[in-house]
Amino acid sequence: MENLRPICVLVSALGGQGGGVLADWMVEAAKHAGYPAQATSTPGVAQRTGATTYYFELFPEKHTDDPIFTLFPGTGDLDIVAALEPTEAGRALEKGYITDFTTVITGLERVYSTAEKMAAGDGTINEKPMMESIESASSKLIRLNIEELAGSSASKINSVIFGAIVGSGILPLKMEDAEHAIREKGVAVDANINGFEIGFNAAHTGGSPQLEDPDKPFKAPPVHFEKLIHNYPDKLHQVIGHGIARLVDYQDISYAEKYLDKISSVFELDIGPDYILTEDIAKRLALWMSFEDVIRVAQLKTRKGRLNRIRHELNVDENTPIRLTDYFKPGREEFIGILPKSLSWLVPKLKILSRGKGLALHIPTGSFLGFGLLKILSSLRFIRKFSKQYAEEHEQIEVWLDAVKEAVVIDHHLACQTAKLSILSRGYGNVRIEGQNVLTKLFDNWKSKVVLDPEKVLLEVDKTLVLAHANPDVDSTRTKLN
Amino acid sequence: MDGGTAVARVLSVERSYKKEIEKLLMGSGDLFHGEGILAITKALLQSGISYVGGYPGAPMSHLIDVLADASEEILKPMGIHYEQSASEAGAASLLSASITYPIRGAVTWKSVVGTNVASDALSNLASSGVVGGSLIILGDDYGEGSSIMQERTYTFAMKSSIPLIDPRYNLDRMVHLTERAFDLSEACSMPIFLNMRIRACHLTGSFKAKDNKIGTFNANNPVPEQVYDVEKIVLPPATYSHEKAKFETRLPAAQRFALDEKFNELFAGKGQDFGIITQGGTYTVVLRALRRLGMADVYGNSDVPILCLNLVYPLIPQEIMDFLSSKKNVLVIEEGNPNYIESQIAEIAQRNNYNCAIHGKGMLPMAGEYTSNVVREGVAKFLIKVLPEGETSTPGKIEKEILKKAKKSLSQIKEPMPPRPPSFCTGCPERPIMAALKLLMKERGKFHVSMDIGCNLFGSLPPFNVGNTVLGYGLSLASSGAVGPSLGQPNVAIMGDGGFWHNGLTTGVINARWNEYDSVLIILDNGYAAATGQHLLPSTGATPRGVKTLVTIENALKGIGVKWIKYVDSYSLEESKKVIADAMDARGQGLRVVISNNECMLARQRKEKPAKAKALKAGKTVIQEKFGVDEEVCTGDHSCMRLNGCPSLTLKESKDPFKETPVAHVNEGCFACGHCGEVAHAAQLCPSFYKAEAIRNPGKIRKVFSSINQNLLSLMGA
Repeated sequence: MENLRPICVLVSALGGQGGGVLADWMVEAAKHAGYPAQATSTPGVAQRTGATTYYFELFPEKHTDDPIFTLFPGTGDLDIVAALEPTEAGRALEKGYITDFTTVITGLERVYSTAEKMAAGDGTINEKPMMESIESASSKLIRLNIEELAGSSASKINSVIFGAIVGSGILPLKMEDAEHAIREKGVAVDANINGFEIGFNAAHTGGSPQLEDPDKPFKAPPVHFEKLIHNYPDKLHQVIGHGIARLVDYQDISYAEKYLDKISSVFELDIGPDYILTEDIAKRLALWMSFEDVIRVAQLKTRKGRLNRIRHELNVDENTPIRLTDYFKPGREEFIGILPKSLSWLVPKLKILSRGKGLALHIPTGSFLGFGLLKILSSLRFIRKFSKQYAEEHEQIEVWLDAVKEAVVIDHHLACQTAKLSILSRGYGNVRIEGQNVLTKLFDNWKSKVVLDPEKVLLEVDKTLVLAHANPDVDSTRTKLN
Repeated sequence: MDGGTAVARVLSVERSYKKEIEKLLMGSGDLFHGEGILAITKALLQSGISYVGGYPGAPMSHLIDVLADASEEILKPMGIHYEQSASEAGAASLLSASITYPIRGAVTWKSVVGTNVASDALSNLASSGVVGGSLIILGDDYGEGSSIMQERTYTFAMKSSIPLIDPRYNLDRMVHLTERAFDLSEACSMPIFLNMRIRACHLTGSFKAKDNKIGTFNANNPVPEQVYDVEKIVLPPATYSHEKAKFETRLPAAQRFALDEKFNELFAGKGQDFGIITQGGTYTVVLRALRRLGMADVYGNSDVPILCLNLVYPLIPQEIMDFLSSKKNVLVIEEGNPNYIESQIAEIAQRNNYNCAIHGKGMLPMAGEYTSNVVREGVAKFLIKVLPEGETSTPGKIEKEILKKAKKSLSQIKEPMPPRPPSFCTGCPERPIMAALKLLMKERGKFHVSMDIGCNLFGSLPPFNVGNTVLGYGLSLASSGAVGPSLGQPNVAIMGDGGFWHNGLTTGVINARWNEYDSVLIILDNGYAAATGQHLLPSTGATPRGVKTLVTIENALKGIGVKWIKYVDSYSLEESKKVIADAMDARGQGLRVVISNNECMLARQRKEKPAKAKALKAGKTVIQEKFGVDEEVCTGDHSCMRLNGCPSLTLKESKDPFKETPVAHVNEGCFACGHCGEVAHAAQLCPSFYKAEAIRNPGKIRKVFSSINQNLLSLMGA
């Protein structure tokens, strides 16, 4: 039989991304060009941010009998898979729609799923291997870094993808057919034609390169620390330098020196390869030592340039008046936290300040009054070293460091895992209290436990770490550990 | 409060179907180009209907929406009565007009759920039979993108003896069969089901239009006299003669008419001793499979004989016998289960002692949608079995190649993609209620919550996981009846305003009130049946045709004698939490109702966005607001995500090389509903959230104050 076939295009998207409009454009463009075509979709509940698909077929012969179009994409029969979000391209691969016959066009900007967002650790999928899978499974992969190509243009994703579909040259459609379709549809015509042209040209030049991991610049410490840092291997300089810079910003020079003392006590025992333990301790210790009390939050909220950064988020210029409301809810713990222990009686025992509750404050940081208040709070750094929370946090830090040091002489790997437990000291309020309670329990009688049965302890530490990174709403101990 | 807000939110926005209405007005010879469901709507107008109604729901909401807008221009001049009924039972009841009067009418709803609700009326209707052509258009919500349980509508056709059309998806053919369905209905005195799958409703195509046809009798030209016929009443002894008539006269008449009018289509193939019988709705999928396997061309010329059943119930035995008699193997392609068609065909083969093996389930999967891949694999298995060359036949070789390619592709996958179920929209007023319930459960232990149909059901999914069961539209309260006593908790049910009016008031509220149940009902009154696409409800404030009428939920509750009614602003999390807790603790006070009546955010934004853009353009002062997260403050434990789930609250890679997890981030989609801040307060999370408001086009005084403020801020190092 004669082997004529329709050209098949699958569009994978999330509800609300404009996939339906994209399908309408394709139908209209085909009509304008004089080719028989059909689109279909399964909107339904998918309109609400769920994964959804649109399916389009075009018969590349004019003036013939009606071809038979069908309703579903088929494996090995798809000329184009176009995804408005990269994991939706991944999903098309999972469903078997991408083969070495298929050109894949995908936007690169992630829209994270609820499942990824809920993990207490990093629950996001690893994009790089995913894109590699798609690339090696398909005949060609056209990546589109839409944000870079079209500026901040969330609303333009569908038109850029449309441009790339036509620009890939697989369909017998011309730019004028597409532009006619966009005009005919009448939705944000100018912006969409602009988006179309961007996508069209990008496809011609092979698309965008793979996204690099974002740059995470290390800060440099004050100059006179240079010499101290050089006591450590080259590999650790950046990390320790960044930690020092962080703690000088947080408190002062002497506090950073204290940090270095603590690092050196671990470094002396670190016999592992590449000093991974010292490196990790340098990171985690700096984070923990810069624990967020009311003073620190006030400091961060009154950072120079913050107001303009927020103006930028709102897409307004620096002269536009803005109002800013910061949400604070300090409880008794927080108030006592910044006072010396002997003065904790100063904070009244009100019900509203009891644990789990607090004083709901809406601070107008955009006005000089609110800003000034926070500025005053942030200047209280000098009392921090005498505060109750400071004493408690440092006590905990010592317990943790001791645990690491006691572990390292027995099992280097156990020490590295123990270092990671510092993640339980993150967060605020109940999250932090619960995490630290776990640590206290785990480190109780630590030394003898480690000496007696290091393997059992390692198992316990690993389990605690998995739980700390998982979604606490689900019981992941069974699924992940067994 | 209730009445006021409802009236205030009556759609001020224009949701116009101008283009669609132009298409519905097309005359003879015009080329219609558009979606399947609009083509069916046009076919109704070409068939001389005098009334039309329905209950919205994907995939046929469009029919109801467009007709509501077309009321003045099209329906009134043609004398067509239109209503968006209060439920599918109401829509089905409309058809009673055709029992004794020679007038044609059509109704529509989502199936199988709508057919469940309508089945009382349908059974009675099918017993009486009809004089005027009656068509029931079913939006078959089955397979990918479906939001309901997976069942067949076929069962309803069989049990009530209602002929079921499952048309081949070609717009010309669909329109033709829709028109002929009315004739079929009149020929056999039965209402007719027309089944439309989701993808068929949304598929685009074209057909040659005809002039619209005005029914002989209609609102502008009424039937001269009422008709009384005791034989039409569903009471014995008439019911016994109805039953007999179904099998002795009505179904045979349907079979005769469909045979004469060639409802079903035979594609003869090359006279092989094997063939395929398929439902009309799966025909194009079968043809694609055959084309890919080298047994058909793109125009539908197939080597394999195909019998395409556009009328799937009743089957026409003569047609089946003709097809089977010359064949040794026949594959029946029938989506869904039970396999009624296959069983009937097998029975025909057996009774006639044909030496023909009937294949079906087994070669094709028992359950699930018959997509291109599924059908191709089944057809390939069949061809390999019946072709003498078997695996080395052309189809055998091609299929092997396709499977090899598929396997190669699948082997590339390293990590599964995260699931992405539907969820509450950005800024949805229902989300905070779910957060309140989750927080309450943290404080007082978990309790069972009975959910309803509608957006509220997303509360059962992560990150909330607060709904335990769902039983049907408007049935949450009724379904909680035995739960509370069994668990030692008050019954707790959630219901949308759609569910309340659909069934919740009678089955749930009245029942709970009458039996003095210890119940808490949370009504999420967002102003619309939001899940179907903002359809208007009795409590919205207007009918779809734009007539202002208001039936309030509060008055309905009070009328029944419900005394404990409290409103909450759902965006105020503390308040919602407290009121729900109060309701739960008011044991012994009968039914307690908590109503959250913030408007559906999608609907609100449709009005507010253009209004804001217009004001901004006109130089008026406009507040532009969104929430944000201070990256430096966020510790990345994502507690906020687990209480929120908003699409615009998402993740971002931190710029700090020391942070090992991504930080929270509020993207541009934020409407500043305030829930982020409320959650941070209510759960005492981190202080990283802020609300930012830019004052665009500020007035003179504000400019002066702002500049003073700005100078002072600069002095302080901002």
